[in-house]
Amino acid sequence: MAELLEIKELTKRKWNFNTKWSRRTRQNFWLGVLFLSPWFIGFILFTFYPLAASLVYSFSEYHSRKPLVWVGLDNYKTMFTDKLFWVSLWNTLYMVMFAVPITLITSFLCAVLLNLKVTGQSIYRVIYFLPSIVPTVASTLLWLWILNPQAGVMNTLLGHLGINGPNWLSDPNWSKPSLILLGMWGMGSTIIIYLSGLQDVPISLLEAAELDGASWLQRLRYITIPMVSPITLFNLITGMIFMFQYFAQAYVFRGTQGLGSPLNSTLFYSVYLFQTGFQYLKIGYASAMAWVLFLIILGCTILLLKISDRFTYYAG
Amino acid sequence: MKNNLFKLMTLLVTASVLLAACGGQPAAAPAPKELNVWITWGDNPQQLQSLFDKYGTANNIKIIVTAPVEDDKVLPALTGSEPPDILILGGGDLVKSYYKEGLVVELSDAIKTGGVDLNDMFAAPLAQCKDGDKILCLPWGTDIYALYWNKDLFEAAGLDPNTPPQTLEQMAEYADKLTKVGADNKLEQIGFIPDQAWGHTDLYSHMFGGFWYNNDGTQVTANSQPMIDALTWQQQFFKKYGYDNVLAFSTGFGDQYMSPDYPFYTGKLAMMVDGEWQTGPNFIAKFKPELNYGVAPLPAPANHPESANSGMVAGTVAVIPANAKNQDASAKLLAWMMSPDIIAEEMCYNANLPTSKKAAQDKCFTDNPKFKIFVDLMGSKGSSYVVTTPISLEFNDAYSLVEEKVLHTGADPKTELDQLQSDFAPKLEAALK
Repeated sequence: MAELLEIKELTKRKWNFNTKWSRRTRQNFWLGVLFLSPWFIGFILFTFYPLAASLVYSFSEYHSRKPLVWVGLDNYKTMFTDKLFWVSLWNTLYMVMFAVPITLITSFLCAVLLNLKVTGQSIYRVIYFLPSIVPTVASTLLWLWILNPQAGVMNTLLGHLGINGPNWLSDPNWSKPSLILLGMWGMGSTIIIYLSGLQDVPISLLEAAELDGASWLQRLRYITIPMVSPITLFNLITGMIFMFQYFAQAYVFRGTQGLGSPLNSTLFYSVYLFQTGFQYLKIGYASAMAWVLFLIILGCTILLLKISDRFTYYAG
Repeated sequence: MKNNLFKLMTLLVTASVLLAACGGQPAAAPAPKELNVWITWGDNPQQLQSLFDKYGTANNIKIIVTAPVEDDKVLPALTGSEPPDILILGGGDLVKSYYKEGLVVELSDAIKTGGVDLNDMFAAPLAQCKDGDKILCLPWGTDIYALYWNKDLFEAAGLDPNTPPQTLEQMAEYADKLTKVGADNKLEQIGFIPDQAWGHTDLYSHMFGGFWYNNDGTQVTANSQPMIDALTWQQQFFKKYGYDNVLAFSTGFGDQYMSPDYPFYTGKLAMMVDGEWQTGPNFIAKFKPELNYGVAPLPAPANHPESANSGMVAGTVAVIPANAKNQDASAKLLAWMMSPDIIAEEMCYNANLPTSKKAAQDKCFTDNPKFKIFVDLMGSKGSSYVVTTPISLEFNDAYSLVEEKVLHTGADPKTELDQLQSDFAPKLEAALK
């Protein structure tokens, strides 16, 4: 009881360092710090220190068993003239510009379909969600087999339809679309989030619109989509952040070829970063790349949030 | 409240003092109880462990063999505080960059401590490890490539099954006869694919009289005539039947490498360039023992007859990490690895080339006539080794891209190689400073 009064007093008063604390208040404060300390120490050691270290490395040449060599902005300057840097940036932007919207639109449409009251609705929902819980590496390996140009299921099926399936894996024009397909197969979690958002669309509005003669498409466009726009914004931002850091699927997708196969078409930003830092042993340059990626993602997120006011409608 | 807090603090302080006391034993450095050996390849880890156990029992040490180790684990181990005591790498590409970063030690001292006989080693494989007069690694078995051909397919195509092509140009003609195109233009059998499992431009450029570095690795010679010739010669195998066609047929060959479905075993590929291990117990004899095949040194081009009967050596090397706790113990283990008996036993098992001259006289290598071809190639005067530099990995990746562009999309070899040369000549200069 006495502690509660203490806390009330503390919150009422303005924070004034000249106020003399009672012994009890001081003890409470340090007890709080003590309980926070495990988290705080972990944060300093495993999050803050590596971040700060990589910032320092980005301005230096890192040699693992020799002292750090300060080079200032050299690493950042090299990025501008490095061909592979721009290739990797373009590859990543391609995925952000195409994979994110395509996945978003498809998962929204799937969610709308899965919201229809049909028999077996829950079974369909399970079927659409299951692929997203297959581990990343396993699903990528699976798709390497599905998309095999000679023996894979995809080209065999296309063959039955009379279409000559492309070289999904070794044609640089088809490697990124293959990865987009892989991503769409595993979009279950996005569908679930949209599904939950669709439950919040007020039925009264939909019914009123139907009575007024609005078609199914008009109801979708003028009621459903604006009502789930906060979810669209959420999925857009998280999808964009994920796509900028795209790594695991690309790393496994190259099979036995080198990183970025075929012809550097799957050399994404994180893949190139990994290659530069851990294969070419240029950790300073890789750190600089990491910080540039951070700034790019930060910039894009702020931009998205700013323009989101125009298309996001937050129901009361 | 105050009492509880005081008790808690006392407990914490006491606990940390005790922990510090326990952990702070001064490290003595007596004879080690166990040594760690990492190998980046290893189809049969048990066999490798039992080999190293021989040293272990004779010297009262436990040797722990870890094989295969993924390439991505090697760097963290070398830079960390728990590296292996000996690291055995599948190739020497990264050794110079490891040495430049101070991750591995120069072996002259270790060679003296362990008593390794350098004169017992074949020149070409040992030269891979030399950097001026420093020795950065020691070869432990090595590889060399030659031409394999399917005798039955030769006969079916009207060629003499016992006579391989005599020049590279003739090889292209034979490949033509051995290629079958089926209905709707899809390939059913192909004569030769220059990069069917991985690229072999190092061998082809050697046959045309050059390489992408100069002899001592101080200059990039990516756009030299031998390199252009090598790529042009390889390109024709893809061009003739359509790049996309050949690619569609050969995608996935690499994945089938150690399986009965490998195209050379199933008769889809008539000729291949591959290493000496195919003639041993773990490949053709295991996956397709009834295969009727021949082996011969890769023929030379018509305008470079001096390259005939030679090849390019590259293979397994052993290094001692700079952070290894007991350098003397590592040196002794390394010397034992290099002794002729051990090399003979291990290379016999793996069907790799014995890098020790004494070991090469063992029956295991001389009895199998197909294997002996490779042993002779390794010792041949004209044979060379794959030169490496501190930027080898980066260059190899960029070069692979050029090779892909030329062979899989029909880019012009000279243009691509000129670009590669201008990109990497300054990088090598900077790296060698």
